Amino acid sequence: MIDVIIGLAPAMAAAGYYFRMHALILIAACVISCVAAEWLCNLIRKKPNSLDDFSAVVTGIILALSLPPSLPVWAAIIGSFFSITIGKMVFGGLGSNIFNPAMVGRTFLTVSFGVLMTSWTVPASIDPAMPAVAQENILDTRTQATPLAWSKLAIKNELGADIYSEKQFKATFTGEVGGCLGETSVIALLIGGLYLLIRRTINFHIPLAVLSATFVFAGIAYLIDSFAYVQPFFHLTSGGLLLCAFFIATDPVTAPLTRKGMWVFGIGVGVITMLIRIVGEYPEGVMFSVLLMNALTPLIDRFFKRIPAGGSPSI
Amino acid sequence: MNVSSRGRFTFSGGVHPPENKSLTCESQIQPGPEVKQVAVMLSQHIGAVCRPLIRKGDAVQAGQKIGDSDAFVSAPVHSPINGKVKEIALRSHAVLGRSLAIVIETDDEGPAKRPSFQVPADFDVSKYSAEQICEVVRKGGLVGMGGAGFPTRVKIEQDPRIPKDALIINGCECEPYITCDYRIMLEWTSQIIAGIKLAGKASGCSKVFIGIEDNKPQAIEIMSAALRDSGDADGIIAVPVKTKYPQGGERQLIKAILKKNVPPGGIPPMIGVVVLNVATTAAIAEAVVSNLPLTHRVVSVTGEAIAKPGNYYVPIGTSVEDLLEFCGLAPQKSAKVILGGPMMGIAIADLKTPITKTTNAVTVLMKEQIGSAKFARRQTPCIRCGRCLQACPENLNPTKIAHAVKNNLLDVAERYNIGTCIECGCCSYVCPANIEVTGYIKTGKIFLARQKQKMPR
Ligand code: SF4
Ligand code: SF4
Repeated sequence: MIDVIIGLAPAMAAAGYYFRMHALILIAACVISCVAAEWLCNLIRKKPNSLDDFSAVVTGIILALSLPPSLPVWAAIIGSFFSITIGKMVFGGLGSNIFNPAMVGRTFLTVSFGVLMTSWTVPASIDPAMPAVAQENILDTRTQATPLAWSKLAIKNELGADIYSEKQFKATFTGEVGGCLGETSVIALLIGGLYLLIRRTINFHIPLAVLSATFVFAGIAYLIDSFAYVQPFFHLTSGGLLLCAFFIATDPVTAPLTRKGMWVFGIGVGVITMLIRIVGEYPEGVMFSVLLMNALTPLIDRFFKRIPAGGSPSI
Repeated sequence: MNVSSRGRFTFSGGVHPPENKSLTCESQIQPGPEVKQVAVMLSQHIGAVCRPLIRKGDAVQAGQKIGDSDAFVSAPVHSPINGKVKEIALRSHAVLGRSLAIVIETDDEGPAKRPSFQVPADFDVSKYSAEQICEVVRKGGLVGMGGAGFPTRVKIEQDPRIPKDALIINGCECEPYITCDYRIMLEWTSQIIAGIKLAGKASGCSKVFIGIEDNKPQAIEIMSAALRDSGDADGIIAVPVKTKYPQGGERQLIKAILKKNVPPGGIPPMIGVVVLNVATTAAIAEAVVSNLPLTHRVVSVTGEAIAKPGNYYVPIGTSVEDLLEFCGLAPQKSAKVILGGPMMGIAIADLKTPITKTTNAVTVLMKEQIGSAKFARRQTPCIRCGRCLQACPENLNPTKIAHAVKNNLLDVAERYNIGTCIECGCCSYVCPANIEVTGYIKTGKIFLARQKQKMPR
């Protein structure tokens, strides 16, 4: 778990750089309240303290990184408590939960405080009027749509998706775009993901499956109608997809155990994300797709049973 | 077959525990303690328990048969020393718990048997017929000396229904710490080759492979050279296999060398393969050529808490206590005495436990080596990381089986093929949550066996 925290460090640093105090306050609030929630649950259930596995800290960080920077601190605290109590502890603590706790908390916040969860502050490090995005009157100067939300709006207003310029595309790599705290900087996420892969904290199967499924799906859509759909690289680099591919979908507790199962799980996450992004109403689908596939994990595990070396014994 | 010095032959899964072989790998096989008393277990093998052939107070000679059984799958036991039967009493056995042993007290101070067997220059395998070899192997009480103790005769005897075609000599010794097989390969080379020829003749196998892990280049070198020199060793090849635990598991070795799978729950003869450990092969030569039964064996006594670690040639029945005393154990440093190695061995509490035909090592671990978390058995919940699945050489789902056993769902455990687990311990070794996965699986197997006894299907 310590490795996951280290892997998340670049993303946290990027968040701190772009969103300054907002980011630090939110991360601190989430981590502290997740830890407090777990401690309280153990106290009430009269169970031994389980904080030393650091899973509550990881949940807190991931939740914080998937929140919009302008979210009030009280909302973050509510989300954290929900994550830990309903997302994890009611199932019996670490290892027994079905859903990714951070995503449970985020879903709760999205459903309860829809407006707060979709106002995006422009990174403090750049000019408030995002230079790359045409000054649409649908956007005011203080808040800024995420690239995904913006492209969706653009398509709705029949502007065509290719307005999304080169410059904006580059900006997603460094993170100078609107979006959730930790979702914006592609480089930071890639560094963290690479670290986890090298440390073998995660296997490459799930990230690769998620990314390639997304890429293929988006690629097909783009080939069919390049005016209505943005190009596939954009889908890979924007929104929570990378955070999801490396840090959320790879949560071992809620992902399948077998290799084949991991492929199915990852492809499922990628495809559902794209369905929601392209067809659905929400601009971003990572959260729901992870939860949906989490729910399917026991089934996947049952379906892809391992066959012992030498074939199944005939009992 | 094109054989390079690097072992390309391997299986999937497995782990790489620290080897720790340097403690004893340079130590020549030397005589063990001169014991006053031995306790020869009546069951040192898989199969029927022997019944004693002598009574309390009888005088016995070294090499005299003192226990036997009429069952096909069984092996007689012999006295390693001259002496008198003191009693037939219960002794601890690492796997079977308390079971019967013949306790013999020596009366003469004659020198202990030396590991000095030499293959005579005129050794010629064609002097012996297959039946003759099998008979001697049975009479000599030979069993697999690498671990399980399956009676050797049952393995090598020809079966008209399934003709045997490949003989694999297991010189992998993948278990950390243990070096007795390695030393046997270096020092008793000609004896092993004689034994291989005899076993080949008895089983009728046309192909013979000697599988040796590629971390023992010297053994590969010496065995290959001896094979070249011995002239008539056609069809015998020393094969370097990849160094990985449990390469020495017979199913894994067969997979690595022959690329064949033994059916789950089955044994190698079912696919016409015989696997013999190098120590067993050496014992076959001794039994057939010199008509000496299996009464002594080489045991690695090792671990950082031992003053004189090494490979000792000891009478079967010597108590672990005598052996450790002889080798200089620092009791305040030791935390765990294991018969076998740290991966597959079994920790014993009773130091009076005698050495059996299958005891290849006594490993003494210190608290620091076990690791404080493992030592305190602090288990955290399974995080389903899947490492145990990847490490499992039998391609099982260890965590699922372990959790099924834990929750008393034996039918689920069976559905996940608990019976095909070879208890290699890889899953426990890799588990980041310190879960004794193998322990649960072993428990589950015992529960299942009991259940079946109570309620025959
Ligand atoms: S389940 Fe059995 S065979 Fe598989 S790693 Fe564990 S002990 Fe070894
Ligand atoms: S290695 Fe341990 S924690 Fe990981 S899945 Fe297996 S039992 Fe669970």
